[in-house]
Amino acid sequence: MSIAESAAETTKASPIGKAVTAVGSKPKRKSPLEVFKEMPLLIKLSSAWLLFMVGGALYAKLDSALGGSLPLQDPFLQTNGFNPATGEFGTGEPIEPSSAAHWFGTDSIARDSFARIIHGSWVSLTVATVSVTFGIVIGGFLGSLVGFVRGRTETVIMALIDVILAFPALVLLLAMVSIFAVRNLYIISLVIGFLSIPPYTRVARANSLAISNREFVLAAKAIGTKPSKILFREIIPNILPTLLSFALVGAATVIVVEGTLSFLGLSVQLPTPSWGNMLNESRRDIKQTIMPVVWPSLFLTLTVLSLNQVGDWFQKRGAVRGSAL
Amino acid sequence: MNKRGVARLIALLLAFAMIAAACGGGSSEEGSDTTTDAGGSEETTTTEGNTEVTEAVVDETVDKYGGTLTMALEAEATGLRPWEDTCSAPCYNMAISVFDKLFEQDVDGLYQPYLADSVSSNEDFTSWVITLRPDVVFHNGEPLTAQTIVDMWAIQQTGATSAGVLGSAKVENVEATGDLEVTYTLGQPHSAFPSFLSRAPIGMVFEPGAAAADPDGFSTAPVGTGPFVIQSRDLDNETVMVRNENYWGVDPEGNQLPYLDELIFRPIPDEGTRLDALVSGTVNGMHTLRQGTIRDARDADGIARLEFQGNNVGGGMFNVALAPYDDVRVRKGLVMMNAQDQVIAALGGEGISDPGTQWFSPDSPWYSQKVADAWPKFDFEGGKALLQEYVDDPARSDGKAAGEQIDVELSCPPDPTLIAAMQVIEQAWTASGLVNVNLTNFDQQTHINNALGAPPDFIGTHGAHCWRFSSDSDPSVDLNPALAPYSPAVAEAAGLDGIVSPLNFANWFDPEAFGAAVAAIRTDDFNERFALYESIMLRIAEEVPIWYSGHTATMIATADNVNGFNGWHLPSGDLGIGFPAAEGRYHEVWIGE
Repeated sequence: MSIAESAAETTKASPIGKAVTAVGSKPKRKSPLEVFKEMPLLIKLSSAWLLFMVGGALYAKLDSALGGSLPLQDPFLQTNGFNPATGEFGTGEPIEPSSAAHWFGTDSIARDSFARIIHGSWVSLTVATVSVTFGIVIGGFLGSLVGFVRGRTETVIMALIDVILAFPALVLLLAMVSIFAVRNLYIISLVIGFLSIPPYTRVARANSLAISNREFVLAAKAIGTKPSKILFREIIPNILPTLLSFALVGAATVIVVEGTLSFLGLSVQLPTPSWGNMLNESRRDIKQTIMPVVWPSLFLTLTVLSLNQVGDWFQKRGAVRGSAL
Repeated sequence: MNKRGVARLIALLLAFAMIAAACGGGSSEEGSDTTTDAGGSEETTTTEGNTEVTEAVVDETVDKYGGTLTMALEAEATGLRPWEDTCSAPCYNMAISVFDKLFEQDVDGLYQPYLADSVSSNEDFTSWVITLRPDVVFHNGEPLTAQTIVDMWAIQQTGATSAGVLGSAKVENVEATGDLEVTYTLGQPHSAFPSFLSRAPIGMVFEPGAAAADPDGFSTAPVGTGPFVIQSRDLDNETVMVRNENYWGVDPEGNQLPYLDELIFRPIPDEGTRLDALVSGTVNGMHTLRQGTIRDARDADGIARLEFQGNNVGGGMFNVALAPYDDVRVRKGLVMMNAQDQVIAALGGEGISDPGTQWFSPDSPWYSQKVADAWPKFDFEGGKALLQEYVDDPARSDGKAAGEQIDVELSCPPDPTLIAAMQVIEQAWTASGLVNVNLTNFDQQTHINNALGAPPDFIGTHGAHCWRFSSDSDPSVDLNPALAPYSPAVAEAAGLDGIVSPLNFANWFDPEAFGAAVAAIRTDDFNERFALYESIMLRIAEEVPIWYSGHTATMIATADNVNGFNGWHLPSGDLGIGFPAAEGRYHEVWIGE
């Protein structure tokens, strides 16, 4: 390990107010439980909500994979619809209030709203994960690269990024989404992911510019380390924590964007449930009962709020660490 | 009972009789209830067929003049040039206040002269002589003469909306054959030609001099002969009209019309907000074409509702030119598996919309019980058997192997009600295990373009496509273009060179049905025409190129002191058609206490 590499590894893990770890010694990593204990109550609640949301999404996916054998109602079943097996119509009612049978009531065509919300969380989770990963990997790499190499590469890439940023995001998103005749979850995620690239590029570039002038990077250059090695071993590892904490806030934005597309009927194809299309479908019954609008709104709001809170907390934590660099 | 009480009772009975008559004549099956409030005005609810009217009935001796009506519309009018701008319900409400039409429909749906004074035709209905009302002047003081109509025709020939209508009606010449006498010469017989002169594109009379001088400016400062004159037009916010002091119209008692001093239109696109605006008193009138809003309005207090259910019927169509929809077994099978009542409920029309079985509502004189009986009813197993037959057919038209599922694309605009309805249909079709349904939503314009296709064939890219059919116009207006050959190749094969209609969206050409449609405009005998239209509807029930959900209920709702939307009169003294498709007529509207 070079001196510069050792220095980088040492400083990046140094929290403020604590003794800087000696060169060459392994920094102590906190366990997730220790990190959780450090969190303020609001952040703990937010994290718990996110865990519940992710758990619900995975449960819904597992339920689908097992053909609906887990204890969760069929999100597609119209309980007042014709049942070919019995030759009769079901006895369910549209926009039914909450009950033991339907915890969140039923929607305008008598489907179980709770099941649809839980299944809808899979859409939000997938879009958030795929889009953010797409943004981090491509945007993060591009930003790190241009901040390090600069010159014409930076001029060209940042000009392209500025062009994408200059275009109204929703208009560009609608245009891109409407190209696809069949809109599945992964296409929507990738389209949103494409639009996530510019912000990640900018964040990564800003950090890369700062880190590229640090002593350990200059030292690595001075001893003739290959630029690609410096990029991947010195620059990107130091930018990644910032990008990951930014990703939580970005995920919140992405979930809202997907909700907007769903609300406009431009996200996943029906009858796949998503929080946005549930809002769209239930708005016409808002004068009859507000609950079909409230439940998806509540899930959307709490998830976005939680992501923002947790993201902000990690960003502050990262900033403190960064200041110790 | 004192004298005042007796007078009030008589007035009430008279007004009640007028409202009953406006609903198309009384019958023993009609239901009505009346409640009287402390203020002495009465609220009357009358029901006949699908039209329900809840309107305050006030002493006829009160002063009807004055006041402002502020109407909330579902959208802004894109423009107010009858020959150029596509005029849907919101636009029509505004345009009808500024322009008069040559013809209007009476309460029975028949066409009567309005700005025209009389009409006659030759024996084969290719030449129509129209005499205009005398002493009518435009808002700018120009007189209405036969030359006005000829000058209008020069503009209409190149108008975005009027050129197509002139083409449909095959108008070859318009000539002034007297000071007030105009002769329309048609290239083909059309016994219902006045129906074309009762709609905006070629029926609304505008001042051609002003239109020619500033065609663009005319859109915001239109000049007509109507009961109101535009005072200001702030797009997407407010259009203010004031009474036309020189209006030619009078009420049955000979009183000068209109009654209102001021008429204001405000576009409020959101359905709930529009209804709230009425309930809160921000506006004192609104209209809607949504069943869900009608349902909500029925629960609201302090408003008068005027509901109308006309011929317009929702549903969808199959692209018969494409597989698998080219096979009647698929079309009929899918329709038989479509639980119509469930779809209507999903649309929010339960208890509001009648199930459709044809292009005419049960109130229409063209309605046929024979057709209603012939329309395929919900029969899941029967429908499934038809689809199974197609699936097992080695020579099936979609080129798939026997036993494979049928691929169906069901597409509707992304409106919440349509989204709900299409999912009901999708679940039923999917439940058969024989159909793989792909649901798509495109914005309204794309949805239409997908069905329209491109020249020269106009086949479109749609599969099973949400659509609306029919109107309260003469059946020929909607049916003839919908049944004509959809491509030059089809026309040539049928020996009908040059007759191509892009408006045959279902791409279903049936020589028998089209022949009946053509025959129906060569006669003005009602019974003969009825039989022809009935035969067309029976062919549709047999071939099933389209499917129906429910007839479209529309509503005008007002504060309970607003009167006169229902029961307005034609110059002949007969009652007018009322408020079809949420299109009001404002010349006899008045504000009570």
